[in-house]
Amino acid sequence: MSKIDLEARSRALDIVEYSMKELIEQIERGEKPTLIMPKRTLSNTIYDLKHKMLLLGPELQKRSFTDVNEAKKFMQTLLMASIIYEALRNNEYPTIRDLYYRGKHSIVYRSIDGKRVSENTWDEQRESDSVIRDLEVLLSVLREDLLILSKEKGKVVGNLVIRSGDDTIDLSKMGHGAYSIEPTPDLIEFIDVDAEYILVVEKDAVFQQLHRYGFWRKYKAILVTSAGQPDRATRRFVRRLSDELKLPVYILADSDPYGFYIYSVFKAGSITLSYESERLATPSAKFIGVMMTDIFGDSVFKKIIREREARKTLEEVATGIEDLKPKAPYLSESERSNFIIRAKTKDLERAVELVGYKVADVCMEDKDAKSKIKRKEGLTGYPWFATPHWVRELCIFFNTLSKLEIEAMASKGLKFLADKYIPEKISSGDWID
Amino acid sequence: MSQYDEVYRAVSPAEFFYKYREIAGFANPVRAVYQTIRELVENALDATDVHGIPPDVKVTIKKADETQEFYQITVEDNGIGIPPNIVPNAFGKVLFSSKYVMRQSRGMYGLGVKMVVLYAQMTTGRPVEVITSKPNLKRIYYFKLRIDVNRNEPVILEAGSWRKTRDWHGTIVSVTIEGDWNRAKSRVLEYINRTAIVLPYANIALLTPENEIIYYPRVVNTMPRPPVETKPHPQGLDLEFLSSLVKNTGFDTLEKLLIDSFQGIGEATARQIVQKAGLDPDRKPDSLTNEELLALVNAIKSYDKYKPPSPKSLSPLGEEIIIAGLKRAFEPEFVTAVSRRPSAYSGHPFIVEVGLAYGGKTPIGEDKPVVLRYANKIPLLYDEATDMIVEVVKDEISWDNYMVSLPAPILVLVHVCSTKVPFKGVGKESIADIPELRREVKLGIMEAARGLKQYLSKKIREEEAKKRAENIAKYIPEVARSLSIILADEDSFNALRSEVIRKLTTVVAKKTGVSLDLIQGIVKSVEAEAGV
Ligand SMILES: Nc1ncnc2c1ncn2[C@@H]1O[C@H](COP(=O)(O)OP(=O)(O)OP(=O)(O)O)[C@@H](O)[C@H]1O
Ligand SMILES: [Mg+2]
Repeated sequence: MSKIDLEARSRALDIVEYSMKELIEQIERGEKPTLIMPKRTLSNTIYDLKHKMLLLGPELQKRSFTDVNEAKKFMQTLLMASIIYEALRNNEYPTIRDLYYRGKHSIVYRSIDGKRVSENTWDEQRESDSVIRDLEVLLSVLREDLLILSKEKGKVVGNLVIRSGDDTIDLSKMGHGAYSIEPTPDLIEFIDVDAEYILVVEKDAVFQQLHRYGFWRKYKAILVTSAGQPDRATRRFVRRLSDELKLPVYILADSDPYGFYIYSVFKAGSITLSYESERLATPSAKFIGVMMTDIFGDSVFKKIIREREARKTLEEVATGIEDLKPKAPYLSESERSNFIIRAKTKDLERAVELVGYKVADVCMEDKDAKSKIKRKEGLTGYPWFATPHWVRELCIFFNTLSKLEIEAMASKGLKFLADKYIPEKISSGDWID
Repeated sequence: MSQYDEVYRAVSPAEFFYKYREIAGFANPVRAVYQTIRELVENALDATDVHGIPPDVKVTIKKADETQEFYQITVEDNGIGIPPNIVPNAFGKVLFSSKYVMRQSRGMYGLGVKMVVLYAQMTTGRPVEVITSKPNLKRIYYFKLRIDVNRNEPVILEAGSWRKTRDWHGTIVSVTIEGDWNRAKSRVLEYINRTAIVLPYANIALLTPENEIIYYPRVVNTMPRPPVETKPHPQGLDLEFLSSLVKNTGFDTLEKLLIDSFQGIGEATARQIVQKAGLDPDRKPDSLTNEELLALVNAIKSYDKYKPPSPKSLSPLGEEIIIAGLKRAFEPEFVTAVSRRPSAYSGHPFIVEVGLAYGGKTPIGEDKPVVLRYANKIPLLYDEATDMIVEVVKDEISWDNYMVSLPAPILVLVHVCSTKVPFKGVGKESIADIPELRREVKLGIMEAARGLKQYLSKKIREEEAKKRAENIAKYIPEVARSLSIILADEDSFNALRSEVIRKLTTVVAKKTGVSLDLIQGIVKSVEAEAGV
């Protein structure tokens, strides 16, 4: 077992013991034992404008054992703490699924009306997962710090030498493969680096093409893929690269609301895991593409805001839409018609989630598609999408009802993607921050 | 005699009831046994509690013939006895009674025991035997007599007396009738049981032909307050009653007659009434013409400032006795009683009392609570369907509103006492629908039901608190174990675990307000199941 691992274990054991000591002191004083932790709810999730990330708000949640609505959760929290504690003690690396199984057993008792009742500590993994999240906020540590593993799919290559466990690994010598980011990225040590920026590619296939093409060597990049929705380790790893190597981070994702959302998870954090943003989000990450304007240019948008009412409404969502720099498309008319995919209602709904109804109302011309969107109460969009750039992007999306995958850019020619599109966008600063 | 001629004659009351005995409840051999026991027991009770004596009543039923269904029925009481010169008429002359006065008693018609004697006479031919003595008499008197049906007169067959050797008073009445004891038995037992429910201050014993002894011992020393005889209330008056007063009493003036014969009429009121009738207060009563009498009746009845009839003539059971009776009978989980304030209809005072039992051994009421009806302490067993009280319980009270979800173990006891209970017939089995009475019955039941509702909602609250406590307590062992895994080593594990369990048990008991025992019980059951 590596030294760094052993140190992490002893730190984690201390944290758990410390928190439980507080509890036992309450019990010894004859008080009702109460766990106090930040409230992990949507209403207590706030977007911190200064740090540009989603954080947990100041609201606290008191979980008392003697409150009948909280008693079970209280028991579950302690049960989970004890299993994690034992795993740490026994030098194990449980996964969240392991923890679910280890803690699941039935409590049998005789109820006041004489019936024999049997009840499980928890029934589904959803429940135990939620308890793990509670423990993370209660102890203010991430599960990785408690040496809990989850399945990870992030990969990285580039001119970077790291130490993982007792081994030193040169990430420029991975052949056609790549280093898969370990579930405990905090235990990685950066030893040597020779790179100018970090490029995160949403799609694994595109990552592999760029890798084989020699992109990272040619442009001195560290190439990362999250292979879809980014997991915790990939996000934490990117964040550490950004913080510790002081390199800019560019994100390349599909040109659709889902791709935009993946970018925002890297940048600001996710709503369900907002307590982790502080350690997982990379607020300086930039979206380099694929943008709607890369496909269509800005003529569609200009036409829409020529109308006064539309302009006014969009101006209300984000001031400064008229000052946006003009934009020429990278694709020709015929390429567009080949590569574009038509948006589905689900894509439209996700877009509404990002920027709210106003933009959809103003920009959408297809009445039929509009009527299909389910209207949910209170969707006004996320604050970090209320910028002129994003309003323009999504307005074009609503208007054209089109989306495009990164792969399409690669099929225009890998050379085009690697040697023109990416370098040009970076050098001209054509990104959204 | 032509076809349009008739034979006319008068029959004596004895002859009439002899012929139409079913009117008085002697319709068949089953009813006859039941009715005989009732009449004798009720006379025995009237002779005791009405006079403030805690009743000691013994009923003995014996088979009196080898082959025929003859039964000797004997009822003994410790009551006030009967003066020897009165005994022949009391037992041998139909419509002779000491209860034609303004005072609540079970008897009211002067008919009961005579029906028994007549029935014995016609079925077995055997005479009634009476042994009696009053408290202040030195001798005990003995009679054997029958009724001359045509003349409605007693015929004394034997009479005698002997010196008292001990301080005994009371009456023993014995008759032999033909009847169907086997089929009457359950009714009789029910009657005795029901009677005992409202008489927890009485000793009542029954010896059956099968030599079973059914005994209800006294459980309270309180007695209902005895009724006091009162003058009639002017509102109950009619022309006939006034004419007989005028004829049979020798008052000098109208004023005196009014003041002396009625309750609630003083000098001023008397004058006002007489003047309203256009008469002179000093007129001699027996000089009034028929028109003048009618004017006087109208004046008396239209006067509207009388006090309500005096309730002193009534003898309600009282809440304590009702509760004691219901407790002895049903060991209920909850019991309450309500004695309503006195009220009146047509010049007759009455009081409604309600008892309510819930849970324990209380019988299950299906679509309505089980109803026990009483009138002047007599249980009413027959004709339930047409009874006003049952109607009120069933149709006018929404039991849901009182948190009773039927079927449920709930029973309502209603006691109506009055100087004149409005029975539907001389069998005394059901009560007529009189608005004033109905109203009081309803209000009484509602009041008692409110008590039940309070109890039930408290019980539900307590049960909820227990459920809450249970839903916390069941996790105590798991919490204690988890904490001990983290904070104890192998040696201190058990000590810490038990200590945490002990402390948590106390805290949970304190916070939920339930007993430590209950929480410990649940904790222990979890540990037992887990094999700790
Ligand atoms: N056990 C008894 N002790 C004392 N007096 C009795 C007893 N039995 C009967 N009497 C007297 O005999 C009278 C006649 O009784 P009986 O049962 O015929 O009529 P009642 O009780 O007055 O009215 P009812 O017809 O309603 O029963 C009673 O009024 C009472 O004075
Ligand atoms: Mg009688």
